[in-house]
Amino acid sequence: MRIMFHSSVALKTASVAAMLIAANLCAAETIKLGLSVPLSGAAANWGKGSDWLCAKAAQEIKAQGGIKVQGQTHQFECVSYDNQYNAAEGTKVAQALVMRDGVQFVVGSIGTAPVRALQSLAERKNVLLFTVAWGASIKGPKFPFTFSSMNTPLEISEPMISFIKKQHPEIKTVAMLNPNDATGQEAEKVTKAAWEKNGAKVLVSDLYERGTSEFQPIAARLNAVKPDLVDLGAVPPADVGLIFKELKSLGWNGVKVVEAGTGADGLLATGKDAVEGTYLGAAIPANSMTPHQKELDEGMRKATGEGVNAVQIGAYDAVWAIKAAMEKAQSIDPVAVAKTMPTVKFKSFYGETGFGGKDIYGSDQQMLLPVIITRLTGSTLQEVGRVER
Amino acid sequence: MTEYKEWIGIVAIACALLAGVAFGGSYIGTLVVWIAIAAVMASSLRFVLLIGELNFASAAFFGIGAYCTGYIVNHADLPFVLTLALSGGLALVVSIVFGGITLKVKGPYFLLIGFAFTEALRIFYTRMEALGGNSGLVGIFPPAWLDAHYQYFTTVLCFLLILGLLGIERSHLGKIFIAIRDNENVVRSVGNRVFFTKVVCFAIASTVAGLAGSLHAFANNVISPLDFGFMLSIFALAYLKVGGEDSPLGPVMGAALLVCVASYAQSLGGNEHILYGLAIVLSVLFMPKGLAGLADLLRRKKESVA
Amino acid sequence: MQEVFQLLFTALQISAVYILFSLGLTLIFGVLKVVNFAHGQLFTFGALVLSLTMGALAPSLGHGWAAYLVAGLAGLAACLAVGLVIYQFGFKRLERDMTGSFILSAGLVLLFEGLMLEVFGGAVRPVPALLEGNVQMLGLMVSRQRLVLLVFAVLLTAAILTLLRYTRFGKALRAVAIDYEAAMLQGIAYRRIALYGFLMACALAATAGMLIAPVAAVTPTLGDAYLVKGFIAVVVGGMGSIVGAVAGSLLIALLESFVGFYFDPSIANLAIFVIVMVVLLVKPKGFFGND
Repeated sequence: MRIMFHSSVALKTASVAAMLIAANLCAAETIKLGLSVPLSGAAANWGKGSDWLCAKAAQEIKAQGGIKVQGQTHQFECVSYDNQYNAAEGTKVAQALVMRDGVQFVVGSIGTAPVRALQSLAERKNVLLFTVAWGASIKGPKFPFTFSSMNTPLEISEPMISFIKKQHPEIKTVAMLNPNDATGQEAEKVTKAAWEKNGAKVLVSDLYERGTSEFQPIAARLNAVKPDLVDLGAVPPADVGLIFKELKSLGWNGVKVVEAGTGADGLLATGKDAVEGTYLGAAIPANSMTPHQKELDEGMRKATGEGVNAVQIGAYDAVWAIKAAMEKAQSIDPVAVAKTMPTVKFKSFYGETGFGGKDIYGSDQQMLLPVIITRLTGSTLQEVGRVER
Repeated sequence: MTEYKEWIGIVAIACALLAGVAFGGSYIGTLVVWIAIAAVMASSLRFVLLIGELNFASAAFFGIGAYCTGYIVNHADLPFVLTLALSGGLALVVSIVFGGITLKVKGPYFLLIGFAFTEALRIFYTRMEALGGNSGLVGIFPPAWLDAHYQYFTTVLCFLLILGLLGIERSHLGKIFIAIRDNENVVRSVGNRVFFTKVVCFAIASTVAGLAGSLHAFANNVISPLDFGFMLSIFALAYLKVGGEDSPLGPVMGAALLVCVASYAQSLGGNEHILYGLAIVLSVLFMPKGLAGLADLLRRKKESVA
Repeated sequence: MQEVFQLLFTALQISAVYILFSLGLTLIFGVLKVVNFAHGQLFTFGALVLSLTMGALAPSLGHGWAAYLVAGLAGLAACLAVGLVIYQFGFKRLERDMTGSFILSAGLVLLFEGLMLEVFGGAVRPVPALLEGNVQMLGLMVSRQRLVLLVFAVLLTAAILTLLRYTRFGKALRAVAIDYEAAMLQGIAYRRIALYGFLMACALAATAGMLIAPVAAVTPTLGDAYLVKGFIAVVVGGMGSIVGAVAGSLLIALLESFVGFYFDPSIANLAIFVIVMVVLLVKPKGFFGND
């Protein structure tokens, strides 16, 4: 055993050394982009999709001639590790990315707990970090290297809720449900406040465990208060379908809203006709897709079995943002890139955009993306409203 | 294997790991800390197996230690050593209460009650605002004076704990543990307090798990409820089974091998679950005594040839 | 009052799957004295194979009964094949070794979950409902698919109870569960009975998975929640006891439905874990345990 262990240490040391040498040799060409995302468990598709889109963006950049900094041309390369949605694995991934692979730019990180683990290392080691995690506690001037590349309830809830209230002025009462995790707890606070502000009464607001399989008791509880509208905030798509189906079989028929609704596939797979008319706050409608967006959507379907969604797009946009910031700063040093980031303009998946959010977070770390409100009709999403920011 | 050789084996692995910290660079150092903590977890699991019980609650006590540490660091400014001691102490107190109630049941019932306890605690953490809810706790750093030497400190402390467990196993008390596993009634008939002894064994193992949890929190700086689900117990089981549960050297060897292989597989894009699953299945079926048993077999073969 | 009725009926429906699931677990424990953690994976596998076959058959057979029947048989066959392999190469070598076989099953959980994710992917697979729509019954709204599930669960449970009580095979199985050595002395082929018992449990898991598929999110992690609940049901009822598995499942479903309704679904989960500990303190062998 001692021999085996020695050999594995030797192997590691050798591979690390080889990597370091290799990293030095091709410093002018390839810059490693890291991702800390779930690649197993219920959220595996978010991670797999992010990985695919990161590689796609890197490929597009290569096709357009790479990143030009001080006369040298660089390329991107993506490395994804499985953070299993928890802090312990998130720490392992952080160590592997930053300390072992020498990654200085993270373009995708999903899940508040593992992202905090990564951030704790990244901020100390001057590693630039893009995240789609929702916790407001991980953003702001305290974390100069952290940027977010997806709308959160703080961006989505208020415009979406006032839009829906205008469409359905008869709405007086709301029942809310969110998953019992960092994302859900955060969403609950913000959406609840937004409903009260828009003059609707929140009758009940519950949390449930992720991984729940039987939604009948939950639906019964939501139905019991006879709300005009059910808001499923940050509930994942497959669960949304199941809940609306159970609600339908209980005879409830009101307005359905999912702020974090990222796509129709999951809803339809489990909800069938019961999800008709649901409003989604984070989905990309097929009817208004540009040819380029369609191409990515189709590629994603091949890679993961589902259409492209906002969580995964975060990684795509982050790659382009980093390219823009590197070229503007004329540096590939993460400190300089992070300093430039709030001022860059770049072409995101949704179109030309930049960074903002100082009024909410205290620093311009939030990628400014449009809030697209879509409604499920039949089996497709129709865009019904868009708030540009 | 003689008792003497196991001591040497464990100390030798500890030295190899310390050398890894000294010469291996920052990532290897972190890897060593994970190995050391994993080895303590597996040894704690093995310790309760001495009385014949599979302790699925070990993940829960690991979590109690980690959360106690996280809470103290975030809410009260206590000295490092006191924090460590309190974390172990909390695990001790809870384990005495839990063990005192549940060790009346045996076998599959004890296993599943531990499983339920682990999951109940995990949900409990998510609902506690003071413990950071689902996001967990951040900023759990070792004190500045220790920061540079923390990897050495953890590795040494972990191996002292493992040697401590081995010392107890070799003592008179340890012999009673094994006798309880073999036949509880015989032990009782010669005037030993079986239930009391079981609780003692469980409490020792849980305290050690709690201390390991505290070290884990300081090493990772961040903890979250999902870190301490029942999967942790299954991983500890994998270390134990691959290493071999008959020898005290087994859990240490299993932890070292699997943590290294998992880290290597990660960079190949391998699925950790498949790896651990395959390791457990193969070693249960083809290597029932684990790596330690295999090493033993090889030596005996060599001796018989000579 | 209406509310209580609705909740009671909800509990009954939820318990249907738990019963099918825990019957398998308790059966395996009865004959093999094995705590099979990998039972949930077979459940998931059944549902995944069903969805895959349904998808493949849709162009030729549509979504009617015929397609269900063929896909159901395919799922059953696939699960039985996997069960046979697990038993012949795994549990058979470890029979009556509680710790060893448990560890093996824990390893199988990790292995299967990883493999299924690689093979089937993480996306939710749609399975069309066998029967669409709702029916009004005693003033309660019930979905037809749930009703089918419930009827199936009741029929299967009744069939298994009859089988165990009145047939030669059932008697042999029970004899093995009580004292396998004595049973062997009586000329019962223990190995064969154990194999049949194990396969029966696999078939139950597959059936349960395929029945729930149209009303659940079919992904490689489908079985996890059922595994935990099913185990608690078996422990509370008494390991190895058929009646206990049914009673335990009902208790869990009642808790989930009532605590979830009057408090909060997340508290309901906590309550289930607390109840199992309390029950075991009062009755260390569960309600109907005799082992």
